[in-house]
Amino acid sequence: MIQRLLPFLTLIALFIILAIASPNFLTYTNLSSVARQTAVINIMALGMTMIIISGGIDLSVGSILALSGLLGTMTMEKHGIALGMVVGIVTGTACGFANGTLTTSLRINPFIVTLGTMGIFRGMALIISKGLPVHEIPPAFSYLGEGTLLHVPFVLWILLLCAVVIHVLLEHTRLGRYAFSIGSNPEAAYYAGVPVRFHTTAVYAIAGLLTGLAGMTEASRLMTGQPTGGQGYELTAIAAVVIGGGSLRGGEGSVLGTLVGAFIMGLLANGSDLLGTNPYWQQVIIGGVIILAVSFDELRKRRMSS
Amino acid sequence: MLLQLKNIQKRFGGVVALRNGSLDVNAGEVHLLMGENGAGKSTLMKIVAGMLERDGGEMLWQGQGVHLHNPVEAASHGIAMVHQESLLAPHLTVAENIFLGREPRLPLGWVNRGEVIQRAARLIEDHHFPLKAEWRVEKLSPAGKQMVEICRAIQQGSSLLIFDEPTSSLSESETQEVFHIVRGLRDRNVGVIYITHRLEELRAIGDRVTVLRDGETVHSGSMSEVTTDQIIRHMVGRELTSIYSREPVQPGEEVLQVEHLTREPVLKDISFCLRAGEITGMAGLIGAGRTELCRAIFGLDPIDRGTIRIAGKPVHIRSPRDAVAQGLALIPEDRQRTGLATALPISYNLTLASLGSVSRFGILDHTAERKIAAEYTARLRIRAESSKQRAGRLSGGNQQKVAIAKWLVRGARIFLFDEPTRGIDVGAKVEVFQVMDELARGGAAILMVSSEMTELLQVADRILVMRQGRISGELPGRTTPEQIMRCAAFEVSAATTEEHPE
Ligand SMILES: Nc1ncnc2c1ncn2[C@@H]1O[C@H](COP(=O)(O)OP(=O)(O)OP(=O)(O)O)[C@@H](O)[C@H]1O
Ligand SMILES: [Mg+2]
Repeated sequence: MIQRLLPFLTLIALFIILAIASPNFLTYTNLSSVARQTAVINIMALGMTMIIISGGIDLSVGSILALSGLLGTMTMEKHGIALGMVVGIVTGTACGFANGTLTTSLRINPFIVTLGTMGIFRGMALIISKGLPVHEIPPAFSYLGEGTLLHVPFVLWILLLCAVVIHVLLEHTRLGRYAFSIGSNPEAAYYAGVPVRFHTTAVYAIAGLLTGLAGMTEASRLMTGQPTGGQGYELTAIAAVVIGGGSLRGGEGSVLGTLVGAFIMGLLANGSDLLGTNPYWQQVIIGGVIILAVSFDELRKRRMSS
Repeated sequence: MLLQLKNIQKRFGGVVALRNGSLDVNAGEVHLLMGENGAGKSTLMKIVAGMLERDGGEMLWQGQGVHLHNPVEAASHGIAMVHQESLLAPHLTVAENIFLGREPRLPLGWVNRGEVIQRAARLIEDHHFPLKAEWRVEKLSPAGKQMVEICRAIQQGSSLLIFDEPTSSLSESETQEVFHIVRGLRDRNVGVIYITHRLEELRAIGDRVTVLRDGETVHSGSMSEVTTDQIIRHMVGRELTSIYSREPVQPGEEVLQVEHLTREPVLKDISFCLRAGEITGMAGLIGAGRTELCRAIFGLDPIDRGTIRIAGKPVHIRSPRDAVAQGLALIPEDRQRTGLATALPISYNLTLASLGSVSRFGILDHTAERKIAAEYTARLRIRAESSKQRAGRLSGGNQQKVAIAKWLVRGARIFLFDEPTRGIDVGAKVEVFQVMDELARGGAAILMVSSEMTELLQVADRILVMRQGRISGELPGRTTPEQIMRCAAFEVSAATTEEHPE
């Protein structure tokens, strides 16, 4: 039990340490900026949680984020915010759907498929934009990423909503249960008559939808549509899931764990900024934390099952 | 005295697997280890074979206290084990698996491949197993894997051999071969510990018996001094009859008709029918094509020719989903691989095939699910802390029970049971028969593939026999083992050269 709570305790410890070490940490400005930064990754990581639970992986989410942010903001230039949002989210969903369809119909490992689409989606973003970012965005759009509701950053409400929805999806619906069983033993699911392809594709599509939303949030925060944005986000999202107890072997993971994992990553980055740590060292520290967290988790599992 | 275990204790987290395991084995005897599913037999044996470390108690090997930390240390004492679950490397060949870790070497550490294959082939041939040294293990049926495990253990063990349910997926003739091996070992003064849930095996090879119940040794003595019923009573701690006999039912109409079903080269022109209310048994040797037949009907393998009719209408079944939609259920033979999600809770596994009935508009009804889980864990006496426990942490037999229960939970019109009682204890066997009987009385048609003749004779209303991909006979339920054998038997040499085991 203690070990299962480890990520949670780590988060709290990190919070306390930073509160003591830096006077600027516990300020409204800082905390809300941490929240905003983490929210984008967090929304993506929720989709990644579903994918990893179902035994898959998606390396293309960083590219999807850029493509949907770009198409969304381009639409916004001429047709307004609402349509732009829709286009961004639909783009993400379509990309996820493509990933799911490719893995299930070609029966190729999702690692390979999404390694391919990572390049394809990024290339599409660059071709469409000719490599240039979109800047002409209606100013009101910034509310999504920078606004507040009841003194809380608006993105946090969105994150909360997404987290609840995905949690319910995973724990209380047939889709979620099938995702767990496909991830834990795809053959057993197939023998049981589970529509494996349909549900696998659905999981990727839902993750795509969330990534599209994250893409719009990112665009709103920066008030640009960047064809080169989101690089390396896929790894941060995967790390958040894994730190939160998700297993790359499939069948394991939770929304709460992923939230905690993403916030740990967020606090580490923020903490190093506040304490003036060399940004090169930041990467080393974060990499170390990932390995440490996962090895603790493995140790726990081995002790339980040997 | 070869091996003495005194008061061995072992716990897994909060679960006490062994509280007082005691056992002593002499050289040159076959010692039976009996107990219900989850009694701690495999755990005790894994401690002897160096795969688990004990928490307490003493182990004396030839009079000396020892503590074995890994299987290599155990092997250096001449201890080897045939495991209940296959622990083979699936991507390697039969020969490579048999010699894994102890390959004959050439200078510079090269493995002498030729010799590996030759020696493996000789070993296989000596025991008349229908295997080939070059086959890849992942392609083998559970029976094939079990035979590889046996070859590997006899290759390694020189003083003490542990057989953990070696025959659970073997049929009559292979079982006889295992007995032959065991007797040969005894004659060479090797100690043998033998675990089984097949009662008819006890008298055939056992010299002495030790019974475990709830992790405790409750009886130990010579086989000549106890009756089988007494052993059962020690195992379950209550009165229980192992004799099951089914009241036959007047069969209804033909629900499933199979006509000229062919899938080269394993199934040849197969025609039969299943009737509502009837339990049709299916006998045959390993490799006769019984599992292939079930797989083909269930849409797992494509068929070349033939028609399948359900309730008179021809159907095309191309995947398990189609089969399920047509009211079919398959309880597959290889349940470890195809039946169980080991990382998930028992309750998830139990309802996986019937989520439709515990959900509405895609939303799960956790209360209904808990009720089902509670009912079936109690009925089949699945030994678990709670139904939230991961299925992978159950004992081998309890995992089997979960996999079977999953299909019992789901209603279907036609059930294909492939070796339904493999690995489960006496009490649970009777429960499974009772559930099958209830299903049949409720109007389901049941095909029961089994390699255990006694249970076919107890349960089936009618017995089909398969031989080399064909149906070679149909016998009434009250037939004799000899009759079945006569229909099933064929020249062993043909099987070893031509056919891949199931
Ligand atoms: N890895 C594990 N983690 C937790 N509990 C375990 C583990 N392995 C076994 N157990 C528990 O220990 C008990 C004894 O298991 P064991 O495998 O020794 O039973 P067994 O007598 O071999 O049963 P079977 O006839 O089903 O093979 C069971 O209650 C089981 O749930
Ligand atoms: Mg066992």
